[in-house]
Amino acid sequence: MKRYLRLLIALVATNTDLFAAEAGMPQLDPTYWASQAFWLILVFSILYISILKFYLPKIKDNLDNRENKIKEDLENANKFKDQSEAKAKEYESILEKAKKEVLKIHFESKIILDKDIKSKKESMEKEIEKEILKAQKEILELKKNSISSIQNISESIASNIIENISGDKLNESSIKATVDDITKKNINKYL
Amino acid sequence: MASNPMQQFTVHRIGPEIKIAGIDLSFTNASLFMVISAAVIILFLFIGSKEKKIIPNKLQLIAELFYTFVAKMISDTAGSKAKPYFPFIFSLFMFVLFCNMIGMLPYSFTVTSHIIVTLIMALFIFIAVTIIGFIKHGFKYLSIFVPSGVPTVLLPLITIIEIISYLSRPVSLSVRLFANMMAGHTMLKVFGGFVVSLGILGGWLPLGFSVALTGLEILVAFLQAYVFAILTCIYLNDALNLHH
Repeated sequence: MKRYLRLLIALVATNTDLFAAEAGMPQLDPTYWASQAFWLILVFSILYISILKFYLPKIKDNLDNRENKIKEDLENANKFKDQSEAKAKEYESILEKAKKEVLKIHFESKIILDKDIKSKKESMEKEIEKEILKAQKEILELKKNSISSIQNISESIASNIIENISGDKLNESSIKATVDDITKKNINKYL
Repeated sequence: MASNPMQQFTVHRIGPEIKIAGIDLSFTNASLFMVISAAVIILFLFIGSKEKKIIPNKLQLIAELFYTFVAKMISDTAGSKAKPYFPFIFSLFMFVLFCNMIGMLPYSFTVTSHIIVTLIMALFIFIAVTIIGFIKHGFKYLSIFVPSGVPTVLLPLITIIEIISYLSRPVSLSVRLFANMMAGHTMLKVFGGFVVSLGILGGWLPLGFSVALTGLEILVAFLQAYVFAILTCIYLNDALNLHH
């Protein structure tokens, strides 16, 4: 390692004229110091002014624009999100309300329907009863009528039979009285 | 002559001799590369800020990255009071960085490898910071030399040390940049000379070194620009926010 280093230094010395008289530092030669200072100040001033006046404001504007745009977009996104959430809530509440209404309507209509059915049933029953009563009355009437007609028939049959058997014509009133008597005795069996 | 590693630093006149009041202000190769660096910065910033796109293209992105990088550096080290000095520090960082980087190109000239250039920048910063400190705090700014919490016995000694360290700021700031740039370029030149002198058989090792050193030098070029700017920020911070 040491030998290599020594070789290196020797090579540097021989190859680069490091120890030659002219191999000083050109930086320490003051010939062009004033010129360098002058040009440095001039160039840097121009650079500084152009950066200050033109480029930094432009870049700053652009960065601000982007930041504002991002901020705005984020705000908008949040706003829209809130809006959509509110809408979803509204939709749900409407749905809930509608469901309640449906239940209510269902319930009410059921009550109305029940009432209707009940009233209809009642009136129907009344009518039926009425009809039954009427029919019973009619039947009773018919029965009564039938008794009188049966009486007449039996009177005529009786007179006919008697006439045919005896050849005499009996007194109609006596026949009638007899039939009446029999009917009165048996009428309760049929009524 | 070409094998002299210091030869790359010589300044020579380009064009006519300009003499004002007996002082030689001729346009030199150093001036040329200052102009080139500034022109490249301006061109880069011009293209980078030309199109105001929401989604930036590459150059715009790089320009904006530089902006946010320097802005963050200033706000981190010197706080919000240093905002008015942002354009100066941005210009300084860009100028040093581009001078260093353009100096890395073969056959170019490294402006920042000259002590006079870095010294003028460092002196300007030093004087400006001192003036800002006195404007902001008046004579209370002198309390920067008297740190609090020091035993009374040690106070004179500490104050002297503080004054020396304060006064050596421009020297350390300028020599740091100048020495780094000069040493790096000298090394590159020396290893380049080895490649030639050792020939096809032995030249591969120094060539490898040369390649590695080039990478290192690019890092150093960026790092020194960063250090130069951040130290300026730190000095500015001392002047703006007295906390001794």
